[in-house]
Amino acid sequence: MKRFVAVALGILTAIGGFVDIGDIVANAETGARFGMSLAWVVVVGVIGICLFAEMAGRVATVSGRAVFDLVRERLGARVALVNLGASFFITFLTLAAEIGGVALAIELATSVNYLLWVPIVAFLVWLVVWRVKFDVMENVFGLAGLALVVAAVALWRLGPDWGGLLHGATHPAVPQGESHPTWWFFAIALLGAAMTPYEVFFFSSGAVEEGWSRADLITNRLNVYLGFPLGGLLSLTLMAGATLFLEPRGIQPGHLSQVALPTLLVLGKLGLAVLLVGFFAATFGAALETGLSCGYSIAQYFGFQWGKFVRPADAPRFHLITLVSITAGAGLVLTTVDPITVTEYSIVLSAAALPLTYFPILVVANDPDYMGDKVNSWFTNALGSLYLVLLLVVAVATIPLMILTKAGS
Amino acid sequence: MAGRVLDAGLHLLDRQLVDRDGRLAGKVDDLELTFPDGGGPPRVTAILVGPAALGRRLGGRLGAWVEAVANRLGDGEDRRPARVSFAVVKRIGSAVELSAPKAELETDRLEAWTRDHVIGHLPGASDAPD
Amino acid sequence: MRLTDLLGAEVIDQEGRSAGRVHDVRLVQDGPPVGGFGASLRVAGLIVGARGIGARLGYQRRHVKGPWLVRVLAGWLFHDGRYVEWDRVQTVQPDRILISVPVRDLSQPEALESG
Repeated sequence: MKRFVAVALGILTAIGGFVDIGDIVANAETGARFGMSLAWVVVVGVIGICLFAEMAGRVATVSGRAVFDLVRERLGARVALVNLGASFFITFLTLAAEIGGVALAIELATSVNYLLWVPIVAFLVWLVVWRVKFDVMENVFGLAGLALVVAAVALWRLGPDWGGLLHGATHPAVPQGESHPTWWFFAIALLGAAMTPYEVFFFSSGAVEEGWSRADLITNRLNVYLGFPLGGLLSLTLMAGATLFLEPRGIQPGHLSQVALPTLLVLGKLGLAVLLVGFFAATFGAALETGLSCGYSIAQYFGFQWGKFVRPADAPRFHLITLVSITAGAGLVLTTVDPITVTEYSIVLSAAALPLTYFPILVVANDPDYMGDKVNSWFTNALGSLYLVLLLVVAVATIPLMILTKAGS
Repeated sequence: MAGRVLDAGLHLLDRQLVDRDGRLAGKVDDLELTFPDGGGPPRVTAILVGPAALGRRLGGRLGAWVEAVANRLGDGEDRRPARVSFAVVKRIGSAVELSAPKAELETDRLEAWTRDHVIGHLPGASDAPD
Repeated sequence: MRLTDLLGAEVIDQEGRSAGRVHDVRLVQDGPPVGGFGASLRVAGLIVGARGIGARLGYQRRHVKGPWLVRVLAGWLFHDGRYVEWDRVQTVQPDRILISVPVRDLSQPEALESG
């Protein structure tokens, strides 16, 4: 029974923890502009993240080492440093976006300007990283993130034309009046939002933090294969909400309130309140994860002690880096650059850097010296290789498309 | 394990150093090779750790920059990189296991500095993660 | 001397022909004992080639199998690897190593079992 509760908790946490500000923005903007025609991208992204998160989790569980730790061993100091540079920059950008997201969620609840909340949010994020136990942190924010399910409830209560929505999703086509390159650009952004690099670093480091061993391999798989797809479904709910409410009115969501509109209209203030708790938990949780990932990636490259599983005094450089990253991220938001814009850039650049992150994972997961008999199956390798080719194509196409479509405007 | 064959780059370089207590103590950034007095092939005598070693290894402008950073942080000490004698190496597996605790190694200089000057001052730094 | 002084150096024979650059250094554990480690590691030879990216990924080890696509790519990238025994090394200069055996007589390095 206790085992069942632990597994259920893991899955629920994975669902609630899947959505972050990138998914919120990407799905809402896509739904408002292209309806459900890009829903398939979320499916592709979810399969991809499931595949590689399982690999990264398995690597950490079997070898006891987090994935980025092993990247330097397999790629060499030089290539891994380039990898680190790109990954760290994107993770940092995502961290800033998440801090902005939390502040925006609070602004929506309190009507007090988000900028005033930024320093408080940054301090709270750091405080939780400093003091709260890892699994408590994960569970609290993961479960609270489930409040986002209210958006699905609102959708169901609305009783929309399900056939129409499904048709739009299964017959992907560029809507009238929109250009093909822009459609593809949004597809790339959606993919970047679903497959953000930090998810993999964090998942892998988290497995080491929580001391997973071979006995937890099945739990790892359940969390990933059940939790992430359901999380993806939650993302699609946001896309559907935008499709039904924003697309017909031609509204492009530039503000979090517009994403909350469907829930407010259908379930009233109570529904909105629950949704805001969900927004807060999802973005705050992601801020914790990206903040920690900034520390994880640098510490794991240079080999110094990292993790919350030791006293802070035993991992001083790791904590210093995390502290500085959170502060700098808050600083970026305080320059009054639109947090939504920062989010958009973070997901697009994530998409461009995906091969850098995922290629080493594929290599490491095949190495018997680390994995013993738990190396990838031929099926995982085939699918993984296919994804790598896809991600390379996406990476190459991202910057040209961004320039061509003026970042999707 | 007499006669074991290893490739330095494949099996030693960039590997994680783990101390006697299982704590992480840096990466193998470079190896010190010493020619024996009587002639013959050089032997690996120590592991070199830290930005001073890594900078030289990366080479080029990037490496020079990393080395410069290391010299700045070295607060006046001689510019040689942190050295872990091979006598302290216990085992080479997927990580390099050492027989000494971290605090006794030269690699702990920066960690100790950060602990003493920054992190140590924050409340709760020494609290066990319970 | 440091390992980096050997890595990346160009290997040239007496006729001036280049065998490529040093990608790795083979060590054998049969030197005089050192501390708790046992016999120390002695430099046995140099692994040389024109392209070295594949070497680092570790696919020359026999027991590493997949993924197929990556293994094939790595094999192609590293196919011209050659081995130079240390006693064939004449001088070590910055970025240049002179060897006493002609490049065409060099054989391929032996694949290692595991590590």
